[in-house]
Amino acid sequence: MNTPTVGKPLTRVDGRLKVTGAATYAAEFQRPQLAYGTLIQSAIANGHVVKLDTSAAKSAPGVVAILTRENTPGFKPYPDDLTKKGAPGENRMPLQDDEVHYAGQHLGVVVAETFEQATYAASLVRVTYQAQSPIIDLPDQRAANTATTPEKFIGREDLQVKRGDADGALAGAAHKIDATYSTPVENHNPIETYSTTAEWEAADRLLVHECTRGIKQLQRILAACFGLPVEHIRIICPFIGGAFGSKGFQWSQTLLAAAAARLLQRPVKLTFSRSQMFDSAGQRAQTEQHFTVGADKNGKLVALRHATTTHSSPISEYTEPCGNMSRMLYSCPNVDVTHRLVKLNLTSPCPMRAPGECPGVFALECAMDEIAHETGIDPVEFRLRNYADRDEHQNRPWSMKNLRECYERGADKFGWSKRNQKPASMRGRDGSQIGFGMATAIYPAAQQKAGATATLNQDGTVVVRSATHEIGTGTYTAMSQFAADTLGLPVEKIRFELGDSAFPVAPNNGGSWLTASVGPAVIGACGELKKKVLDQFGHWPNERELSSLSAPIRSEFTSEPNKEERGKFSFFSYGAIFVEVHVDIFGQTRVKRATGVYDVGRMINPKLARSQIMGGLLFAISTALFEATIPDQATGRVVNSNLAEYHVAVHADAPPEFDIDFIDKPDPHMPDLGARGIGEIGITGAPAAVANAIFHATGKRVRNLPITPDKLI
Amino acid sequence: MNPFTYSRVVDPNEAVTGIAAKPQGKFLGGGTNLIDLMKMGVETPDALIDINRLPLAQIEELPDNKGVRVGAMVRNSDLAEHALIRSRYPVLSEALLSGASPQLRNMATVGGNLLQRTRCYYFYDPAFPACNKRNPGSSCGAIDGYNRIHAILGQSEQCIATHPSDMCVALAALDAIVRVRGPKGEREIPFADFHRLPGNTPQRDTNLEHDELIEYVDLPAIPFASRSHYLKVRDRASYAFALVSVAAALDFDSSKKIKAARIALGGVAHKPWRANAAEKKLIGQPADEKTFRAAGEAELAAAKGYKHNSFKIELAKRAIVRALTTLGGMA
Repeated sequence: MNTPTVGKPLTRVDGRLKVTGAATYAAEFQRPQLAYGTLIQSAIANGHVVKLDTSAAKSAPGVVAILTRENTPGFKPYPDDLTKKGAPGENRMPLQDDEVHYAGQHLGVVVAETFEQATYAASLVRVTYQAQSPIIDLPDQRAANTATTPEKFIGREDLQVKRGDADGALAGAAHKIDATYSTPVENHNPIETYSTTAEWEAADRLLVHECTRGIKQLQRILAACFGLPVEHIRIICPFIGGAFGSKGFQWSQTLLAAAAARLLQRPVKLTFSRSQMFDSAGQRAQTEQHFTVGADKNGKLVALRHATTTHSSPISEYTEPCGNMSRMLYSCPNVDVTHRLVKLNLTSPCPMRAPGECPGVFALECAMDEIAHETGIDPVEFRLRNYADRDEHQNRPWSMKNLRECYERGADKFGWSKRNQKPASMRGRDGSQIGFGMATAIYPAAQQKAGATATLNQDGTVVVRSATHEIGTGTYTAMSQFAADTLGLPVEKIRFELGDSAFPVAPNNGGSWLTASVGPAVIGACGELKKKVLDQFGHWPNERELSSLSAPIRSEFTSEPNKEERGKFSFFSYGAIFVEVHVDIFGQTRVKRATGVYDVGRMINPKLARSQIMGGLLFAISTALFEATIPDQATGRVVNSNLAEYHVAVHADAPPEFDIDFIDKPDPHMPDLGARGIGEIGITGAPAAVANAIFHATGKRVRNLPITPDKLI
Repeated sequence: MNPFTYSRVVDPNEAVTGIAAKPQGKFLGGGTNLIDLMKMGVETPDALIDINRLPLAQIEELPDNKGVRVGAMVRNSDLAEHALIRSRYPVLSEALLSGASPQLRNMATVGGNLLQRTRCYYFYDPAFPACNKRNPGSSCGAIDGYNRIHAILGQSEQCIATHPSDMCVALAALDAIVRVRGPKGEREIPFADFHRLPGNTPQRDTNLEHDELIEYVDLPAIPFASRSHYLKVRDRASYAFALVSVAAALDFDSSKKIKAARIALGGVAHKPWRANAAEKKLIGQPADEKTFRAAGEAELAAAKGYKHNSFKIELAKRAIVRALTTLGGMA
């Protein structure tokens, strides 16, 4: 038997492929007779197309086809569960009408022999519009006229929740705060932009290479929209160059590439430019979050109201669920959480890393800092006084919660006791103002149905397959560890394969549930395989026995969440994050230290886990200080749709060291592993820790992100 | 990107003749800005003349202690790290290193940097209908639009774009001379006259003629420039254009009073902004915060902000004070 690898800091099994460029990403797949597509996009944000003149484009060198409304097939609608009840997909099929709902909306595809010819020809397309003034801002009165109060987030979570009597309790509260926080539109900006290559292998068989973290979902979408059996669609995606919430929902480019390929009877590749990542790939919605919080004289919360206004595009009903953690993160008898949705002429929003939790916990954790300050209680102490020993929203016990230990260990490691509670009281040698801030991190721990196969080959290797995804988080590595440990083999004997819709079912990669969902399937399939092999040989076969196998030995397993167990407990991961910021006389904020202690269940691979949290924290610093997609008020076009003007944190913005620690106790109610997921929690809470530290440094409470120099001088 | 012809020249005269025959042509240096603008459809040259093989990549001392001559094809990284620059003109080295990223600096040339175009959003994206710089007469999208990065000094009703270069701010403070070659021979353009204010012709960034080639930038000998400094204020710690920047050098007399000052501002105007008013305020004064603040106030007295960029006025004053304080401390 080999020593178990779970819990060991294994290096990525696909690391070498990636750093040598041997890992093949979607845009790198070459097909015979490949033609290149470029989008024709709307320059206006509201109105309709009067005329689309493609005459000059048609005669440009290399152009082989132009797909417009006139020659686009009538797609069947997207599956309802992907577009209704707050699901993130657009409910409008592309190129079926002349209406324009946001700038950058797709109006057609120019296809040419080369990418350069396609982009040049697209620049020759002349579009005449009947334009109306776009609605861009949440406070716009015309937006208010579209307001609704949606019931559900992606059909799952309740968005309007009331417990007790918040109004009554606020009236008698000893301490109160009333504050509005706002967060801007943000874009995911993975390194890899979208790319789809569509190819009809037969009149009714479609092969798609696309960077999607929803392989099975995309297969289902294409089958539905082209009216084909699901098994006639094949999606291939071995690597994804980052997603952060993008690449998981239907946007029109897959249908358009497939329609163009059908029209041409050639494979067509459609790859987005960076600027198209800002108008064609989803984004995080703007939010405005009004908090009214009351506490008694001992600093015990008596009422918490969290009213969110957010937006969607006119052709989607996705709602950023900011208030979900406010329902239960703290013990509070009177809670009122509401969500109001308005329609703006901006690209359809979708989840972005920790959808709802990122902006929502930012606002909640700033509000906690404000009420703690109001009551004169240390922010850590305030949170301990309001510690929730059970989920008061669902009225259930937690599956496991070590948040208290996160606070205590984090405060100790950070040196929180050295904090002078008075704002603007600490100075650096260079004259900059120093602030310590903290916040709670929280993210749900979900599990989905997943399947896997495991096959023992004559050469002694075991191939394990599941239609899951590698978005850069370490799926290949973690799944190889599970397989190796279950079979008692070295990791080198395992080949984990993913990214093919022909493999057993796996959920969309999202919700930080991949490991907890696909892990049990891999463990199950490998367990079955081991049993089969042992039944046959009585022991694990040696080389000679293996080579005499008449056929590989194969097993399959499907794991599903235990509904009864899931109904008994509330499942969340937690963390406590502490940061030190320095703010200079120009309002430039630098995060100098960050300490985070996380309770995420069992650690599968501490090296990858640390990387995940580090990436999450850097993402959070970026959210707090830099990121904002700015639409022009007059035209609705994004003014900063490039990486020079849309700022994401760079190396120089990272603190010299991230002090990251884990409680590392398996959750007894999570299946097999006791691991709760780690993908998104790093970005929750930390933006508030930065904002709270800035308040502590300067005495200025900035409630609208990002906190740029102009807001501090 | 539109179709274009590509040719390569190895001799400056050949370059000048070549460009004169191509009214819509452009020289290609490092390409870090031009290619980007071509991809965006902002620049649509019908011919690119590659000048990377011109023998203009030297940095050398001018005779008779007259300063340093920098070839137009010198890469930003090479210039920043050169011993002559680091010792005699640290402000230039610091300015270069504060700009862009190492990869861009390895490609970007001195001549190209002089011709870098604005990062105004409305200029950079041709789908915005209004930009007088890109499309004269179409009005300015920024004045009533999103103007956080825009000008506060020297702007016009036609254009409020800023010049994005860091290097040029240092060159403005150092009174550099741009040496160019045209069909009629060579000429010298003092740095202050090289870039233009927008006025009614914002489409013209510089006074360089289409058929002229930048060959050298001369840095005059300024002994006190060995005590010079570049301060850049920006939204993130690296790879960000300046919100405001200051290039400064100070000279002191024997009684520690300021004898001479060179100050230029970046991020505030259509060209690197030589702070003449601030310099004047400093002469003969003690090097203290009060003096520096008065200089900042004097320079920014004429500043005008817009909806999103008024903060730059105070930011510029503070940057002047901080940059001069740093130099004062070195005295």
